[in-house]
Amino acid sequence: MAASVRFRWRPCSRVLRLHTVAEASAARYPPVVASLTAKSQAARQRRVERWHREAHDAPSAEAKLRVLTKLQRLKYVVYPQTFALHADRWYQSFTKTAYLSGLPLPPPPGPGEPGGPADLAPLRSAACDCLLQEHFHLKRRKRAPLYREQESAASPFLRQLVASLVGLLTPHNPSLASAALDFRRPVHFYWWRGEEIIPKGHRRGRIDALRYQIDDKPHSQIRMPKQLSEFVPLDYSVPIEIPVLNCKPDKLPLFKRQYENNIFIGTRLADPCCYGHTQFHLLPDKIKREKLLKDNRADQIEVGYRANAIASLFAWTGAQAMYQGFWSEADVTRPFVSQGVVTDGKYFAFFCYQLNTLALTAQADQNNPRKNICWGTESKPLFEVIEDGDVKGFNDELLLRLVQFLMNRPEENRSQLL
Amino acid sequence: MQATAWAQARQPGFVSFCPPSAADRKFREPLSERTRVMARNVLYPLYQAGNPQLRIFRTNFFIQLVRPGTAQPEDTVQFRIPMEMTRVDLKNYLQKVYDVPVAAVRTRIQHGSNKKRDHRNVRIKQPDYKVAYVQLAHGQTFQFPDLFPEKDRSPEAGSVDDIQNQFMEDERQRQKGEPRRGGVPDWFGL
Repeated sequence: MAASVRFRWRPCSRVLRLHTVAEASAARYPPVVASLTAKSQAARQRRVERWHREAHDAPSAEAKLRVLTKLQRLKYVVYPQTFALHADRWYQSFTKTAYLSGLPLPPPPGPGEPGGPADLAPLRSAACDCLLQEHFHLKRRKRAPLYREQESAASPFLRQLVASLVGLLTPHNPSLASAALDFRRPVHFYWWRGEEIIPKGHRRGRIDALRYQIDDKPHSQIRMPKQLSEFVPLDYSVPIEIPVLNCKPDKLPLFKRQYENNIFIGTRLADPCCYGHTQFHLLPDKIKREKLLKDNRADQIEVGYRANAIASLFAWTGAQAMYQGFWSEADVTRPFVSQGVVTDGKYFAFFCYQLNTLALTAQADQNNPRKNICWGTESKPLFEVIEDGDVKGFNDELLLRLVQFLMNRPEENRSQLL
Repeated sequence: MQATAWAQARQPGFVSFCPPSAADRKFREPLSERTRVMARNVLYPLYQAGNPQLRIFRTNFFIQLVRPGTAQPEDTVQFRIPMEMTRVDLKNYLQKVYDVPVAAVRTRIQHGSNKKRDHRNVRIKQPDYKVAYVQLAHGQTFQFPDLFPEKDRSPEAGSVDDIQNQFMEDERQRQKGEPRRGGVPDWFGL
């Protein structure tokens, strides 16, 4: 009896309740999301997304850099000038760079041809003067101390060569007039690539990104207010595969340290010359040609040049891109291009680097077909021998290539704010 | 006796493998001035100006090639070497004795555990040893071989083992109860 009464009454009360539930269901309870502090993948995902949102919402590039580099943890310190074996393959895998031999530029135009220098003689005489000054005219009383020969002879020669060539080519290349020439300015870059499970410590068993830092000091660099034009389109698919190494970076050998995560192109953010043009690197005494030949490492001579170029130019172009506000979750919309010359005082090797992607983290790299590209040449001597106040066997091709590098200018009609 | 042994040891070119006696010890040159040579635990004669180059023809070092515990690059070979051997010694050793071109050597000392204790609670020390990672030159690679490959254990058809296995298999089939009972023994039931 009571049950039937209840059954009869229920439809009325249910109809009444239906109206109120529909109105109140929208704002009744807060959204059900994963925890923020738990030891779970969902919680980690939520923390990472919160951090990404904070970086996306940063008002300026400076604030963005601060958010991205604030947290310090153990990171691999990558040295561009290294004597480690097969360093260029390792660095290619760290920076997602494909190495192509041969430059994307046409062969250097000779004197008088369009695009080339008007007259080669003053340039050649300037280069020979720099060589003779250091190697012949300047009589040093004492021999350079051990492992300091480069900084006593080759470094001042390169400095003088760069300064004089830039000065002589400025009338032909007006963009060099507004360029800035720095000597021994630090270049820093910090990035993440790949993941690992932490083997030991209080964070054991958790997934952690691998962090890398490059602290480079190129011998000299030229910075411009406008970006150089790209060599290939942004989404160009390179036929070469990037080497994949199936052991930890520690085997290179590469060591971890924890300190400030710096990102620096040579000047601070406010500088108008924030795009890179050319960098010059002088190889240290540890990887001199004679030393490598004596140690059974003849095939590592070119590796030293390539590793230095890939690491230094990646750090420079990456830092330039981060200065413009791009980062791994906000990938570059236009390629960043720079050139580099690596030398040991006598042998010169030329490199061009195009940064197509900054998205190297495990999360951002899942569907990223873009690769960074580095073009390079073998190292060739600038001269054969210097004796009796005369430079024998001067290589004009090399000088023309150097002049072509310095004459490279950004396109006139190219707008900067893309 | 001691005097003659000492005089013999002081002859140029003589390499003695006998450990020094107490009387010789006070004439022994200090460790810092002793140059590195290719043997361990020996007393070399003191070098005097004009002496010929000291040569070791049968070295006292013995090294072991081991399988790496963690993945190594293809050109890296891992060795366990005596504690007194340096990376320069190892490079010369491999190049001169085995004719293996070596590009780089890195060494480390592995601490042997001193944690285990025996029935008297006295600590038991596992010996320390030196590990060397050798990177081969000229692009050569090395892969530690599989010393104990999995052998095919199935006996060949027609052999005694095969007939025996077949017989045991048939016996087991015969002993098995009805499959519809699902492994339940036939004495179980109402």
